[in-house]
Amino acid sequence: MNTNAEKIRFDAIVVGAGLAGSAAAMVMARGGMNVALIERGQKAGGKNYFGGAIYTHAIGEVLPDYMERKPPFERPVTEAGFWFLSKEGGLTRMTVQGGKLANEPADAYMASRAVFDVWWAEQAQKAGALLIPKTSVVDVIWDNGQVVGVKTDRAQGDVYAPVVIVCEGVNNILTQKLGLIDHDLEPAHMALAFKQVIALPMDTINARFGLPDDQHGLAASVLGDVSLGLPGMGFVYTNKTSVSVGLGVMLDTVVEYKLKPYEILQRYLRHPAIAPLVKGGQLMEYGAHLIPEGGYRDMPRLYTGGAMVAGDAASMVNALHWEGTNMAIVAGKLAAETALEARAQGNFSAEALAQYEARLKERFILQDMKQYRNFAHFLETHPNFMDAYPGFLNDALGQFFSAYGMPKKTLFKNILGSLTSRRQLMKVVGDILSMGRAVMGW
Amino acid sequence: MFHALVAIKQVPDTTNIRIDPETGNLVREGVPAIMNPYDTHALAAAVEWKRKLGGKVSIVSMGPPSFIVTIREAVELGADWGCLISDRKFAGADTLATSYVLATVIQTIHEKDPIDVVFFGKQAIDGDTAQVGPGVAVRLDLPIITYAVKIRDIDLVKRHIIVERKTEKWTEVVEAPLPALVTCEKEIAEVPFAPLPDLIRSLRYDPEMWTMDGPAVFDTEYIGVRGSPTIVFKMGTPPLPEAGEKINSREVGVEAAIATAFAKADAAGILQPILGGVK
Amino acid sequence: MSARRFWVFIEQEGGKVHQVSWELLGVASRLASEVKEEADAAGDTVHVECILLGNQVESIAREAVKYGAERVYLIDEPELENYRNCPYYKSIVGVVRKYGPEVMLIGATTLGRDLAGAVATALRTGLTADCTGLEMGEVKGSKQRLLLATRPAFGGNIMATILCRHSRPQMSSVRPRVFPMPPYNSDAVGDIVREEVPLDEKDTEACILDFIHDQAESVDIEYADVIVSGGRGLGTPEGFKLIEELAHELGGVVGASRPCVDAGWISYAHQVGQSGRTVRPKLYIAAGISGALQHKVGMQNSDFIIAINSDPNAPIFDVADIGIVGDLFEVIPAMIKEIKARKEALA
Repeated sequence: MNTNAEKIRFDAIVVGAGLAGSAAAMVMARGGMNVALIERGQKAGGKNYFGGAIYTHAIGEVLPDYMERKPPFERPVTEAGFWFLSKEGGLTRMTVQGGKLANEPADAYMASRAVFDVWWAEQAQKAGALLIPKTSVVDVIWDNGQVVGVKTDRAQGDVYAPVVIVCEGVNNILTQKLGLIDHDLEPAHMALAFKQVIALPMDTINARFGLPDDQHGLAASVLGDVSLGLPGMGFVYTNKTSVSVGLGVMLDTVVEYKLKPYEILQRYLRHPAIAPLVKGGQLMEYGAHLIPEGGYRDMPRLYTGGAMVAGDAASMVNALHWEGTNMAIVAGKLAAETALEARAQGNFSAEALAQYEARLKERFILQDMKQYRNFAHFLETHPNFMDAYPGFLNDALGQFFSAYGMPKKTLFKNILGSLTSRRQLMKVVGDILSMGRAVMGW
Repeated sequence: MFHALVAIKQVPDTTNIRIDPETGNLVREGVPAIMNPYDTHALAAAVEWKRKLGGKVSIVSMGPPSFIVTIREAVELGADWGCLISDRKFAGADTLATSYVLATVIQTIHEKDPIDVVFFGKQAIDGDTAQVGPGVAVRLDLPIITYAVKIRDIDLVKRHIIVERKTEKWTEVVEAPLPALVTCEKEIAEVPFAPLPDLIRSLRYDPEMWTMDGPAVFDTEYIGVRGSPTIVFKMGTPPLPEAGEKINSREVGVEAAIATAFAKADAAGILQPILGGVK
Repeated sequence: MSARRFWVFIEQEGGKVHQVSWELLGVASRLASEVKEEADAAGDTVHVECILLGNQVESIAREAVKYGAERVYLIDEPELENYRNCPYYKSIVGVVRKYGPEVMLIGATTLGRDLAGAVATALRTGLTADCTGLEMGEVKGSKQRLLLATRPAFGGNIMATILCRHSRPQMSSVRPRVFPMPPYNSDAVGDIVREEVPLDEKDTEACILDFIHDQAESVDIEYADVIVSGGRGLGTPEGFKLIEELAHELGGVVGASRPCVDAGWISYAHQVGQSGRTVRPKLYIAAGISGALQHKVGMQNSDFIIAINSDPNAPIFDVADIGIVGDLFEVIPAMIKEIKARKEALA
């Protein structure tokens, strides 16, 4: 039997060296705690994947001098917005540049998670946390109703600490073992996102996307003829010498219609508006990841005695705004601050850790999650938002900017007809109301 | 007590290497660095025999300070002690100069703490030369057993090792007196999944750093570029052969695609003799 | 006036010569011819020669002459019956020191690679392993042409040309099947020079206790005329059944790409590529192989290559004489059918 002296002990354990986990480890280590940051992958964030761009407000909140630490950013996001694809090959762009998007440092940067997460975890290690890679946490250790450690998949693998912050990602095994949720995250509310990263010379990217140099970049959400009319959204991000193109669709539709993600992506990449952008490029990577988009209604309880949950495991994702990474980072930080306070008071009970939820409520995280609580349901019930409207938009603008030698009255009638042929007018009004409910939380 | 020494190398994971589309150069950035897989298995064998016989496993590696992580990985897998030979003056070494440095270091360790078996991987996956192991054996005048697939016995009393080595034709059972040098295939031992305390110890382990200034004594004639008889004359990407015709069986139909392919093979005089020769 | 000697190590086991040795005699003859003009001008002589070790292997020495050796240095000793590193390398080193060859080529077989590194280290000379290209080229600062040895590195992603400026001999190990067989001239004449190199007792301490012949399959893909190879596109290990069937119909053998071997779908003996075997069959069929460089360098010298892959952009098509874009599970059965029909028509 292990005697107490032989036990592996830390002041805190963080499970998962993703964005939330490394942020939590960083903050606790800086606060003087001896932190074990346990990661199942070979490297920090080894299994992580996103579109992607990352928001700097969250990074700066945890690491104010992040720019001096040379983060491995790709281009800044200097142009952002929506692209609408029609079935007929049309493309309508609605993007913004300049203004707030010209800030320096920028509000968001493209990045590769495989690279960024390693750097992010290095900052936690520099603060003093011990990154333990290639080790999976398989269970928690209870003592008297309180979490006191974790079990790993290695021999002699129990690790003890008075507080555990679980940032395990979408596969929420530990959150379930903690009794904070009694099921896997809802497949119906799970998006399957997949993408290709396609290498192209920097000048080619600049020319094709109308960017002056590699200090300018575009991040676009692509709607319309992207995902075979199923609820889903595409994206395009420009890195320095590669383009990240992909899309997310709801997992249950992929299963229900027996779709092959790779084929949906191939079809999207062959769209006449997308194909020329990536033409001649070399495929560098292909990957897929699940995103929990169930929102507020799918969130687990966030703490118990000796444990807290942050990031994807807690469903902290705002699907419409592509937010998730920033929530994860800030939530990790708030959990860590709660742990530091609990330590100061020598009390890691559920009552003490309730502070974590209180802190989340004060911030955008729980406020936004609550406001958008209907959004997942809205997407499920309004697939036409992905299909009818983008098609209409392309058609309407196309007609508006063409001369047919016909009276404008007829033109507007045609445009209206183009809308009503796709969707009855009353339903359009209904859609707008539902959209408002979903986004504004009416 | 058994003393095994394992020479390990950090290599780029060649399965992940790609070519820059613009410059045609090798992109090493972002390519994960790993312990040479054959070395990992050699290490696993050394650790297995240490556990059987009692004793210790020492590691030597040569390269820049970033190679420390690879020595840590060796400690995770059960090594007890490691040193990294790191000095700019060693840079640019070919296999001959590398074998000189490694042999000198191994000799220095051996004088203080006699070694029974020196383990190498059969080759490194970046260079694929398989020369350094034999080179070190010649310099130390040790019997060498290459392509080892199984260690049958190490007897510290009779002072011998019995190893199965695989050649193209057969497997040989070879006996050699100790100390001996063995280069290993992957079959030599399974790589273990280390217990957590070993992993944690390895994460905090700092290997000894050996340089030109010691503890081993080197002759500058034989190290680095100066000690390397071979030089790289030029580098390039392999020439792209001319791509042949491509037919899409989904468009023309499978039978037609095969007919076209076989017609072309016939025209080149390939198919007829083959089919004629088959009973 | 001096003699410029181009040497080949003749690899034999149990009296059977590894074919790469003859291939290398062809290379040595070519290299010698590349310096002929330069040597004539300098009043030097050029010689293509072999070194052969074994027990009662004189008949092999005579064979070597017919493949182009002007002279064979023969060390014929009972001690050398079976290959062992130490007595072999020490014997070779002794003869090399006596005659001072300019170039020495060794087959990059398991035996050759075991030997070459030891010989080169003992002679403190340069050795380039696993070469796929060899020529005698002009190099700035050198009066004589030097051996330019080209080899793949980094899994075949880079070709590096290596030279050895000062030390002699310039050594290379060369993969089997990279170079063609030289012509066989049954009337050729040459010398056989017997050499003796005294060995210490210590040199023969390591001994072979036993030979285990694997009763399991021994595939010789290196010298097969027809190879049908499968890759990751097979999806499962069972996919190789289809590959085997096609190979059987063509009287060929089964090859595989590295991922299949790594995944344990098929044994290493079948692996084609930089980390497996180099092959040069008359017909190579690649099915479901994407064509990573490391695979391509091992098979691109095949006489005729047919590639089958569902991805039209698969790099394997770059080396194929003809590519079929399609599902291999449709294409191969149809191919088998067609071959059966053709064979029947021939019979």
